Amino acid sequence: MGFILDGLDTEAYDRNYTDRELVARIISYFKPHKQQMGVVGLMIAMNSLAGTGGPILISKGIDWMSSDPSLTAILLLTGGVLLLGVAGWGFNYAQQWLSARVVGNVVLKVREDVFTSVINNDLSFYDEHPSGKIVSRVTSDTQDFAETVTLTVNLLSQVLLVAILSVVLFGINPWLTLLLLAMTPLAVALALSFRRIARTVTQHARRVTAKINAQIQESISGIVVAKSFRQEHAIYDTFQANNRQAYQVGLRRGLTLNTIFPVMGMAAGLGIASLVFAGGLATRGGLSPGDWYLFMQAVGFYWWPLLSIASFWSQFQDGLSAAERAFALIDAQPKVVQAAAEAVDRLDGRIELRDLEFTYTGSEVVLPGFSLDIRPRETLALVGHTGAGKSSIARLIGRFYEFQDGDLLIDGRDIRRLDLQQYRHQIGVVPQEPFLFSGTVRDNIRYGRPDASDEAVHEAAMRMSKGEWLEGLSAGLDTDVGERGSNLSMGQRQLVALARVLLKDPAIFILDEATASVDPFTETQIQEGLETIMRDRTAIIIAHRLSTVRHADRIIVMKNGRIIEEGTHDQLMAHSGHYAELYNTYFRHQSLDYVERFQEIVAA
Amino acid sequence: MASKREFKPQKEYRYNRSTPARWIWSHALRYPIFPLGTLLAAVLNNYFYSSNQVNIGRAFDLITTPGWESAELLAIALTIFGFAVGQGLTGLMRNYTVEFTAQRVERDSRDELYASLLGKSQTFHGRQRIGDIMARATNDVRMLNIMFSPGLMLIIDSALGVVMPIVLIARLNSSLLLVPSIFLVLLAVTLIDYNRRLNPVSIALREQFGDMNAGLAEAIAGIEVVKGNAMERYEWNKFVGNARLYRDHFVRQGGIQARYLPALMFSLAWAAALLHGLLLYQAGALTMGQVISFMGLMGALRFPTYISIFTFNLVQLGIASAGRILELINTETELDENAAGMARPIRGEVVFDRVSFAYDGNPVLQDVSFVTHPGETIAIVGQTGSGKTTLTRLINRIFDVTGGRVLVDGLDVRDWNLESLRSQISTIEQDLFLFSRTIAENVAFGVTGATQEAVEQAAHEAQAHEFITSFHDGYETEVGERGVTLSGGQRQRIAIARAFLTDPRILILDDCTSAIDSATEDQIQRAMRRISSQRTTFLITHRLSQIRWADRILVLRQGRLVDQGTHEELLARSPDYSRIFARCE
Repeated sequence: MGFILDGLDTEAYDRNYTDRELVARIISYFKPHKQQMGVVGLMIAMNSLAGTGGPILISKGIDWMSSDPSLTAILLLTGGVLLLGVAGWGFNYAQQWLSARVVGNVVLKVREDVFTSVINNDLSFYDEHPSGKIVSRVTSDTQDFAETVTLTVNLLSQVLLVAILSVVLFGINPWLTLLLLAMTPLAVALALSFRRIARTVTQHARRVTAKINAQIQESISGIVVAKSFRQEHAIYDTFQANNRQAYQVGLRRGLTLNTIFPVMGMAAGLGIASLVFAGGLATRGGLSPGDWYLFMQAVGFYWWPLLSIASFWSQFQDGLSAAERAFALIDAQPKVVQAAAEAVDRLDGRIELRDLEFTYTGSEVVLPGFSLDIRPRETLALVGHTGAGKSSIARLIGRFYEFQDGDLLIDGRDIRRLDLQQYRHQIGVVPQEPFLFSGTVRDNIRYGRPDASDEAVHEAAMRMSKGEWLEGLSAGLDTDVGERGSNLSMGQRQLVALARVLLKDPAIFILDEATASVDPFTETQIQEGLETIMRDRTAIIIAHRLSTVRHADRIIVMKNGRIIEEGTHDQLMAHSGHYAELYNTYFRHQSLDYVERFQEIVAA
Repeated sequence: MASKREFKPQKEYRYNRSTPARWIWSHALRYPIFPLGTLLAAVLNNYFYSSNQVNIGRAFDLITTPGWESAELLAIALTIFGFAVGQGLTGLMRNYTVEFTAQRVERDSRDELYASLLGKSQTFHGRQRIGDIMARATNDVRMLNIMFSPGLMLIIDSALGVVMPIVLIARLNSSLLLVPSIFLVLLAVTLIDYNRRLNPVSIALREQFGDMNAGLAEAIAGIEVVKGNAMERYEWNKFVGNARLYRDHFVRQGGIQARYLPALMFSLAWAAALLHGLLLYQAGALTMGQVISFMGLMGALRFPTYISIFTFNLVQLGIASAGRILELINTETELDENAAGMARPIRGEVVFDRVSFAYDGNPVLQDVSFVTHPGETIAIVGQTGSGKTTLTRLINRIFDVTGGRVLVDGLDVRDWNLESLRSQISTIEQDLFLFSRTIAENVAFGVTGATQEAVEQAAHEAQAHEFITSFHDGYETEVGERGVTLSGGQRQRIAIARAFLTDPRILILDDCTSAIDSATEDQIQRAMRRISSQRTTFLITHRLSQIRWADRILVLRQGRLVDQGTHEELLARSPDYSRIFARCE
């Protein structure tokens, strides 16, 4: 009966689809199960009949008993009540079980559809939708919307019950029925206004509580610092103040929400009292005592269904919002669409960018017409300030985003015509923060080539810095990396990502160098690993390491989406232009020269 | 000053901390007026409700008696109304008193936990995971609240919702107790059976939901790698496999819930009660009105039938939460404060003499020996897991050695007064915590009565003055949620400024932030150099410049000190070490 307090927490959501569209779409998911739904409907109707049948039978029985209390009559009556009770239980069993099956299957199908759309989309989709929201849409919103249907189905059964009963009662005594029905608006009004108050109180409490919780969390995080500075009393006072506030807010909310049911009960009592009196008077006018008792029972039957009918609409709307969120994901069209699916074999690794125009969201132009030729097996370093366009080029080559104009040719072929899966087998991408899946180091290295043998994995691992890094892992290749690789250090995760690329042996290697700090020993291993990888393939590296720019065949200096300088490190330094300035900002402190001049620097 | 608990709030209330159940009980009874009120209200509430069932029966008897008076009927109707109002008011009282108890238990237990945490030693805190503590202080404490309201409230109500009708049924005719008694037994049996079947499936369902969620979150977080390796199909199969398993559990749970035998028991009991009542009516022992009252009282038993499962779950969860909270509160850290130990200014000589340390049976450090003279800067280098941080934690006794000795100024750290030792050793952690206060307050945090001059001087030394004054409010700029967010480099310099003010004799600096640009890098280098120049400093760092110019370098590898010396010495004899510097040619 807590339904009245359900769904007070849901956030507002701007709706784009109309109610009708949503309902139609939801129904379409239930169509494959229409036979089962039909049975569910039937079971609901039968349950309602059995449910109303019981009290009616008892009331009639009371009248019989008054005139003819024979054993047969008693047995017949009780037998009938027993039958209806058991039948009602049975119908409910069937209905609930079938509903669970249908809902379970529908939710599964919706989840499959949403995930299909999500996984096939390109990176621009992920920029628009934060991952947390995607997850909650796939898991929670899908569940919520299926339950809208359950809600509706239950509502129908309630409505049916009330309708049947009203008809029967009307047939017995119209005036009493009218009296009974007159109480309906009262019940509904009470329910609705409570819901409104409760919703306001809940949302207010939620906002305030979130803030207070953050403060309490800060007090807890700060304990260690407070202790090391002997400031325990100060921080305790702050904590107590916040804790008290949380208490006030929680109390107010709790008291408000807990008012409704007793008040409802009082209102029901008023209804019964008036019916007792009015009904009693009606017996003088021909109403049988049994029928009087039926009216008594009816109040109980009416009251709670009315409440659930009253709270139906807003819960239904919440369900529709959940549906909309799920459908919005299903309908999200990927921007990267291949025009053909030409086969891709081992590539040479020649890349040509011709007048590429690219913008992420349609507002700021990142590449206003970019051209570059990359030779096979060339190691190319991209440098420039943030926003220069370096990452965009790497991602376009990886075909993670769609460009608006110009051409991108791989080995002379239009990238938009290649079979995307096959093309991706030919490239190896390591993002700035290497990502590891839960499992072992071996599983992660194997990720790009699931059919690789254990020996191949081992060999790839050994080719990186002579396999020295494996000694640092607690169980070598069988080490469990933990969630997102949390059992390994940043440096170790990078090494695993690089080993993954080595195993895959792609024609094109794309790396966004990490900026996070790694201990010197691991850093050495990473740099040696990189050298191994860069040797036999085209390598495009967004460079943050001094050693990378030094070893690159060519450095491309970018600014505002254009190439402003290019050459080797020595050539560019001699030129004393933008590159030299970048060097001073990002690379200088990595040099041995800087290390040696340290004393001068810190004395300044 | 040194006592088992380093902090004690004023006006402390002692709870019973022996078992979770007793602890909860002592919390509930702290303000006895509320639980008493609840009990009283619940009894009256159920009395009014049950009595009204009897009243309805009386009304029936009245109207079937020829020649009845309207006034009598009115009296009954008004009584019914009055009792309904009474039922409502006592219901409110019951709900409100429970709510007060519930909210106070949450507030007081959180307060108790917090005070207890504050009173624990640095040793305890150095070993704890902050996420754990947070979960207990928020989720588990919340669970206690829910256990009371609605958990215990519904249990009390259900219990009385059984007792009161039974009492009134007995008053009608004691032989009528037959059917309800049998029903209650059957109810208990079927409920236990239901719970037994449902529990494993519910748990499996919850876990499967967690797995599905985690797998999904992982695939999405790593989508670039997924796509880059053309593994979309693989991930799809994985997710759908999980989703299908979830569906299977969901359907199974639905089947069990649909079957709910207690409801069937109720239907059987209902018919049986009717039979019994009518038989007695036929025999003249009951009036029809009394039969109706009886049926009404049986009907009251419907509520406990449906609500029980839900409530027992809540209580179980509440007790589990209480257990976790108590565990934290009752943890004692065995480290001895050593009030009688040495307490004097530290010069800063630190010696490790064949130190070994194992945690939970796993060796972390083995046979580490080195000597540090006062004022020296020692750089500690090694890969993750080599024991660098643990080594530093042995100096201020967050951990105690399991073999060998650590000496400060020639005296074993265990012979020092812990308070004196710790007050002169400062640690600057990687993940610096700043309070949501002004920058000046954060810098001056450890020193009461620090002047603005002293704060600014410290900030100057720490190379932070420039960026602080670049903010609109300068030193009065608020930091944190309501204020500015500082970069890693800026936070580090604030921590260093703080250390300038507190002026420890031994400094442990965990410097593992990365460099973004050379200008900031110069400033950080300067700040670090300055803070380490006047004291013995242990520096865990990745910065080659700090390593190269340290007075001594310790090279750790899997818990062992594989080499130590000056930069020149190590360059000459360690190929691994030279390799590091060769790379930045």
